[in-house]
Amino acid sequence: MTTRNEQILPLEGTETLAASDILAVENLSISFGGLKALDDLSFAIRDREIFGLIGPNGAGKTTVFNCITQFYKPDQGTVLFGVESERLHRHRAHKVSVGSTDEPQDTEVVNLVGRKVHSIIKLGLVRTFQNVEVIPELSLIDNVLLGGHVDFRATILEQMFRLPRARREEKQYRAQALEVLEFLKIDHLKDELASGQPYGVLKKLEMARTLMANPRLIILDEPAAGLNDSETEDLAQTIREIRDRYHCAILLVEHDMRLVMGVCERICAISFGRFLALGTPEEIQENPDVQEAYLGEQESDQEGAQK
Amino acid sequence: MSKNSRITMLNLGSIMKNSHVHYIIFGLVLCLFPMMTSAGGMKNSTLSTLAFVLIFSIVALGLNLLLGYSGLISLGTAGFMGLGSYIAAYVQDDLGLGFWVAVLLAIAIPTLIGLLVGIISLRVSGIYLAIATLCIAEILAKTFEQAEWFTHGTAGKQSKYPTIFGMPMDRSSMFVVCAIVLVLVMMLTYNIVNGQLGRALHAMRSSEVAAQAMGVNVLKYKLFAFSVATLYAGLAGGLYLFFLRSSYPSTWNLFLSLNLIAMVVVGGLRSILGTVAGAFVIFAFPELVLKKLPVIGDASGLPYVFSGVMIILVIMFFPQGLKGLADLGVTTIKTVFSRKKVTS
Repeated sequence: MTTRNEQILPLEGTETLAASDILAVENLSISFGGLKALDDLSFAIRDREIFGLIGPNGAGKTTVFNCITQFYKPDQGTVLFGVESERLHRHRAHKVSVGSTDEPQDTEVVNLVGRKVHSIIKLGLVRTFQNVEVIPELSLIDNVLLGGHVDFRATILEQMFRLPRARREEKQYRAQALEVLEFLKIDHLKDELASGQPYGVLKKLEMARTLMANPRLIILDEPAAGLNDSETEDLAQTIREIRDRYHCAILLVEHDMRLVMGVCERICAISFGRFLALGTPEEIQENPDVQEAYLGEQESDQEGAQK
Repeated sequence: MSKNSRITMLNLGSIMKNSHVHYIIFGLVLCLFPMMTSAGGMKNSTLSTLAFVLIFSIVALGLNLLLGYSGLISLGTAGFMGLGSYIAAYVQDDLGLGFWVAVLLAIAIPTLIGLLVGIISLRVSGIYLAIATLCIAEILAKTFEQAEWFTHGTAGKQSKYPTIFGMPMDRSSMFVVCAIVLVLVMMLTYNIVNGQLGRALHAMRSSEVAAQAMGVNVLKYKLFAFSVATLYAGLAGGLYLFFLRSSYPSTWNLFLSLNLIAMVVVGGLRSILGTVAGAFVIFAFPELVLKKLPVIGDASGLPYVFSGVMIILVIMFFPQGLKGLADLGVTTIKTVFSRKKVTS
């Protein structure tokens, strides 16, 4: 068992991460068959930053997500993540009360590569999905409670027989889930089943579920897809409010350029799995490489059409 | 109305809404049947049929946990149930260790075997899991025929009514025991599906990726659902033996496993009371009604034809099963009543 752990997980604490950073992707590469989906990609996200990841279709944005959250195992490279020592050692995050994170906390750096998919959320890293993955047969509040899954410390037997700890936790987390729903203004629907709810509500529900886990970094996979203009504006506001209230960083993959440029503090652009540029929205918009990746594509399309 | 009595009314109201209370009331109603029988209001054979409905309900509840909540399929349920019945007989009659040890081992050994099978076969899913469980059931079925020291082979294992707390059991009191166990199993199942455990199972069925992203260890919860299903099967197998006082290898075949699935589907996936209703329709209806019909009543295999027709009807018209039908009835009544209020 120990040898296996040593093999997969590099010794904790020996990795380096700049003091202001929460996540660093270093030299990440993965290929499917002969196709290199990611090629030596590196970037870092600062703590409490709203960070955008953009690129033309097929650039590998979702692949980056999947490599960070360990749905894919990268061929090469590391994903370093800063975790509060308290959370790491307890292994199960106890309730981190909102607003108490202002004082500096001890953090340790861990490499996510090789960890089990279901263990990632315990470190404070939660994601949403491009096609919302909520449970249609459960009510909204039950869906949100699922986000607190790793916080439940009552054992299976305690839950089966409704022993005091299981009952206490159920009550405590239900109240917390209701707070999250209130924050996202969908608490009036709490007992409705998720099936049949409009797309905008489901998107919010998925976000509520991530908040339930007291995240340090939320990864949003195309949150604006399928939303209309006013809903998208609403979303930008929500993303800022989440960051301010939950003191977490947000990594955003998005096609809607208005949302990305309006809400992100820094943006990383990639193309064909390779790093293109990193900077503020203005810098990215003026970057010739980025312009070529987006517009050059269009030119060659037009040429193709003329032929 | 005084303030005090209003508070009692409120308490009573919330108690009546509690599902556990519903199950206990249901159990109390069940206990009326043996009394009716002894008063001559019901035939002994009818009481036996109803007892088997209760026993099959227990297995079907485990299967609903597996199929309805967790989205896993097992074709080996009958095998585990048979194992429970033979263990109960062997421990009580051959080893002479009494009712409690017999029941405990009838639960523990199938659960343990189920756990081992689960560890190996739950890494595959869908059709492969179905085949793996079918193989186990076939192995068990052959074992029941061959291991004569344990099962008496095809001649069948004979047993006798147990003695519980010094009281010798008979048909009526065993019926009450079955009813009590069923109510306990219903309460336990309710606790499982209506807490974080249930949410994790739901997540696993609905979207494995989402479940994993939320920290649900999918293999652990699959194993949990599978072990509970085998636990219920072993328990029901033990009760079956103590009620019927015999067990034959031919009982524990694929048809029983399929019939158990039919009970779950017809009763309604993810419904506890629905499962019991499904067990009644699939098992008792052919016994009590169809077999009494002229001409077709004598046809062999009639219950299987009935199960098949019911499954087709349910899948085509009522995917929610009897539970969905009941819900539809309740909503219709409610709308009718609210309309009356508006007009008056």
